[in-house]
Amino acid sequence: MSSEERRVELLQGSLDLIVLRTLATMGPLHAYAIATRLERISDYPLDLNQGTLYPALVRLEQKGWIKGAWRKTENNREAKFYTLTRAGERALAAKVESWRRLAGLVDKLLLEA
Amino acid sequence: MSHVRLFLRRLAASFHRRRAEADLAREIDAHLHLLEENFIAQGMPPEEARYAARRAFGNVEHTKELQRDARSFPWLAGWAMELRLGVRMLVRYPGLTVVGGLAMAFAILVGAGLFEVVKRATHPALPLPDGEEIVGLTYWDRAENVRKRPSSYDFLRWREELATLRDVGAFRVLQRNLAAGAGAGEPVMVAQISAAAFRMTRVPPLLGRALVEADEKAGSPEVLVLGHRLWQTRFDGDRAVVGRAVRLGGIQATVVGVMPEGFAFPVDDNLWIPLRSAELVREPGRDALLVFGRLAPGATLRQAQAEAEWVAARVAAGFPDRYAHLAPQVLPFANSIVWLSPDLFVRAGIHSVNAFALLFLVLVCGNVALLVFTRAATREREILVRTALGGTRGRILAQLVVEALVLAALAASLGLAAADALLKAAVEAMRAGPDRWPFWFTGGLSPATALYAAALTMLAACIVGVVPGLKVVGRRMSDRLRQSSAGGGGLRMGGVWTGLIVAQIAATVVFSAAAYVVHRQAAYIASVKPVFPAANYLSVRLEMDPEGPAEEAAETVPERFRRRYAAAVLELKRRLSAEAAVAGVTLAEWLPLAATTDPRAIEVEGAAPGEPPSRWRIGASAVAPDYFEVFQVPVLAGRAFDSRDLTESAGTAVVNNLFVDRILGGRNAIGRRIRYESPKDAGQSPSPAQPGPWLEIVGVVRDLAPGRPAPLNLDNPAQPRLYVPLSPGRESYPLYLAARARTDPESLAPALRRIAGAVSPTLRLHDIQPLDSATGEDARFWRIFTNLILLGSAIALALSLAGIYSVMSVTVSRRTREIGVRVALGAPAPRLVAGIFRQPFLQVAAGVMVGCVLVGGVVAAASSGSGAALARNAALLLACGIAMMAVCALACIGPVLRALRVQPAEALKDDV
Repeated sequence: MSSEERRVELLQGSLDLIVLRTLATMGPLHAYAIATRLERISDYPLDLNQGTLYPALVRLEQKGWIKGAWRKTENNREAKFYTLTRAGERALAAKVESWRRLAGLVDKLLLEA
Repeated sequence: MSHVRLFLRRLAASFHRRRAEADLAREIDAHLHLLEENFIAQGMPPEEARYAARRAFGNVEHTKELQRDARSFPWLAGWAMELRLGVRMLVRYPGLTVVGGLAMAFAILVGAGLFEVVKRATHPALPLPDGEEIVGLTYWDRAENVRKRPSSYDFLRWREELATLRDVGAFRVLQRNLAAGAGAGEPVMVAQISAAAFRMTRVPPLLGRALVEADEKAGSPEVLVLGHRLWQTRFDGDRAVVGRAVRLGGIQATVVGVMPEGFAFPVDDNLWIPLRSAELVREPGRDALLVFGRLAPGATLRQAQAEAEWVAARVAAGFPDRYAHLAPQVLPFANSIVWLSPDLFVRAGIHSVNAFALLFLVLVCGNVALLVFTRAATREREILVRTALGGTRGRILAQLVVEALVLAALAASLGLAAADALLKAAVEAMRAGPDRWPFWFTGGLSPATALYAAALTMLAACIVGVVPGLKVVGRRMSDRLRQSSAGGGGLRMGGVWTGLIVAQIAATVVFSAAAYVVHRQAAYIASVKPVFPAANYLSVRLEMDPEGPAEEAAETVPERFRRRYAAAVLELKRRLSAEAAVAGVTLAEWLPLAATTDPRAIEVEGAAPGEPPSRWRIGASAVAPDYFEVFQVPVLAGRAFDSRDLTESAGTAVVNNLFVDRILGGRNAIGRRIRYESPKDAGQSPSPAQPGPWLEIVGVVRDLAPGRPAPLNLDNPAQPRLYVPLSPGRESYPLYLAARARTDPESLAPALRRIAGAVSPTLRLHDIQPLDSATGEDARFWRIFTNLILLGSAIALALSLAGIYSVMSVTVSRRTREIGVRVALGAPAPRLVAGIFRQPFLQVAAGVMVGCVLVGGVVAAASSGSGAALARNAALLLACGIAMMAVCALACIGPVLRALRVQPAEALKDDV
C-alpha cells in the first residue's frame, strides 16, 4: 500500500471532536501545534491541510467551547493559543459519548460482515 | 450554547468584518512562520522551506473564505456591500435622489396618512384602561334603515336585565351657561351622565371625587365634575375649586372634582352632571339617550348582543308597534358614537380610499422607475462590464433593488415623519375649532400604520428597482454588448411609460384649471364688499335651555319654550338698544353675508314656464322690521317691513335686487306673488307637501353683498334673497342678533353678556363675533383649498418634467452615434433638434390635448354662461396648454444641448 492509499480522510464533524480532545489533553495550543500533534499521533498520514483547522476553530470559539488569546511561543513568536472552556469540557464529554456509540455500532456491523 | 446566541454571534461577526479579517491574517501568518521554522530546522533551505510551509498549509485564500463562511453570514456581508453601493449611488445622482425621493415620500405620506385615518374611522381604539371592553348600545330601525337612539325606558331595562354587561350607564349632551363668578357666564357643553361612567372608565379624578350613585338620587345636592381643560381655562387651574359653588344655566351647583388631562369620556366632554334616574321619562320612546357599559368578565360582544336581542324580544312583545322593527346593537363604544353604515358600498367606499392611495403610489413609483431606468441606461456600460466580469443577473438585479430600497427607506422615513406631524397638527387644529371631536382622535401614526408603511416601502422599492432592473438585465447580454460597442445603445422606452407621461401632462392641465377656478373663487369671496360696514356689527346666536325633561325630550320646539324664548330675546334687544355705545339692534333668522342659509324652493306666480324658470331654490330669512334700517340698506322700490306685516295674515315679503334681476328677469317686483313649495320642516319628508301660502312682494332692497356672478356658486354671499317678517314667538329657533356699534363692536360683548345674564341665566350666547369674520373664514378656507390643488398640480408637473427629461436623455444617449453620423454628413442643427424633439413633443401635445378636452367638457357641461365667457375660458385653456408645452420644452434643454455638442469623431471613435 502506497503512502497515498494509506491517507486517512476525516469524517464529517469529527474535526471538532479531535480539536477539543487535543486541547483537553495538551492544554492551550495554537493552530500549528494542534495540526502537528494530529499528524504526530496519527498512524497514517492525515488528509488534512493545516488551514482546514481554521473554520473548525472559529466555529468552536463562537460556540463558546474554546477561547483564543494571543501569547508568545517558546520561540518568542506571537501566536493565538486556544484553551478549552468549561462549556467545551461538557461538550467534549457529550461528543465522546456519542462518538463511542457510533463507533461501536459501525464496529459491530463490520464484525458481522 | 443556544442556537439564538450562536446566530447573534455570527450576525455580530458579519458587521465586524475588518477586525476579524485582520486577526485571521495575523494568525495564518504566524502559522506559516512556525511551519517554515520547522522545515528550516529539519534542514531545508529557507526558500524551499517557505514553499513547503505553503503546501502544508493549503490555499490561504480558500482557507480565509472557509473561515469567513463559518464565522459570519456571507450573504449578509454581500448585502452590506450592496447597501454601501446603493448609498453611494444616491449621492452620485443627487437629482434622482431628490426628485424621486420627494415624490416617493409624498406618496408614502398620502398612503400612510389615509390608512391611519381609515383605520381610526373603521377600527377606533379607546385610550382607556381595557377600552376594548367598553361598548355602546343602540337600535337599528329595520323599517327606515336608520339608527335610533334608545330611550330612558330601554336604558333602565338594559341596566336591570343584562348580565353580560356591567356598569351600564347613559348620557345626553346639553348646553348651559357656566358662570364662575357674577354675570351670565358662557355656554359650555355638559354631559348629563350616569355615575357608572366613572367607575367603568377606571380613571381616578385629579382632585376631589367623580360622580357617585348618590348624586343620581332625587333631591340630592346639585354637583358637577370639571374636566381638565375647563378647569384650566375657566378656573385658572385653581386647586381650591373643589367645593366652590358655580352657576350652570338656571341652577347653582357645587364643584366636587376635577378629572385629569385627556379624560373626555363619553365624546369630548369637560363638564359632567349626574343623570338623575328620577327625572327620566319611564315610557318607551319618549326621549333619546346614548347607552354604554363594560363587558362583564369573560363575556364577549357576541354574547352581549344575543342577550340584548333576548331582552328586546320581550320588550317588543309588550310594545309591538314601537319595537317590532327595532333591532338592538351592541357595538364597540367608539363605533356606537362615530357610526359607519354597515352598508357594503359605504364600507367599500371607505376602504377604496386606501386603494386610491396605493394606485397613486404605484403611479409615482412608475415615474421614479422611469428615472432609475434612465440612469440605468446611462450606466449600461458599467452594468455590461460587471456582467462580463462574472456578475450574475441576479446580482445586478439585487444591486438595483437594494439601491431602490435605500431610496424608498429614506423616502419612507421622511414621508412617515411628515404624516405623523401633519396628523398631530390636524388633530390639534380640529380640537382648537368649535366642533366636537371624539377624545379617541388623538396623536400621530399608530404602529399598525408604520407596519403598513413598511409594506408600502417594499412595494415602492420593488417597482422602482425591479421593473427597470428586469428591463436592463432582461435581454441577452451578448446582444447588448455588441450593440453597445457599436454605439447604438440598447435600451428603449416602452409604450406604458409614454402613456404615463401623457396621463400626467393631462392631469397637470386638469389640476391647473381646477386651481385657477378655485383661486378665482377665493379671490372673489375675499373681494365681496358688503354695502354696510360689516366690521362695525357684532353678531351672536341666541339659544336657551329647555326647562324640565319634557321640553328637553321634545322633538319640535314646544310652544311654551317658544314664548319664553321670544320674551327673553325681545327684552335683550330692548335693553341692548338702550346702551350708549349701541347704534342699533336687530334680529333675524340669518344674518347678511352668511352664505349657508338653508335654500328653500319657491315658486313665482304667473311665471311663464321656461325662461326664467318659475321654480328656484333661494336663501330665505325671517327678519325683524328694523333689519334694513339697522343695516342701512336703502329700499329701491316699495317699502320695508313695518308693524302691519307682523300679523299672521299679512303674507308679505321683501326681495333684494339680485332676486329681481335673476328670478324676475329685471321686471317690476312690487305686487308679484311667490310661495314656498313646501313648509319649512318638510324638507326630509318623502310625501309631496302642500305649498305654503302666497306672499306678496311689497318692497325691493339693495343687495347687502352686491357682486358679479362668482366662478362657483358655493359660499357666495351675493345671492338672490327673500325676506319675510319675523314676529318672535311664531318664527324659528334659534335667532341671530346683530348690534351696530358706534365704536369697536368687540367692546359690546361684555355689555351683551351682562344684559343677557340679567334677562335670563338660561339664555346662551353663541359665536359672539364681528359680522365680517364669517366671510373671512370662508375666504381662508378657499385659499387653503387653492394651495392644496396647486400642490397637487405642482407634483404632477414635476413628475411629468422628470419623465420628459428621462425620455429625452435616453433618446439622446441612444442616438449619440446616429447624431454623430448626421453631424458628420452636415445635417443642420435645427433639423437635428426637430428630430430629437419629435417624440416628447408628441407626448406633451397628446397630454395637453387630453387635459384640455377633459376640462373643456366639464366647463361646457357646467357653464350656462354666455358665448363670450366660453370663448374666454377656451382662450385661457389654450394659453395653459401653450405654457405647458413651453415648460416641458425646458426639460429638454439639457439633453438637446448634449446632443448638439456631439462631436462626430467622439461619437464614432468606438467604431474605429
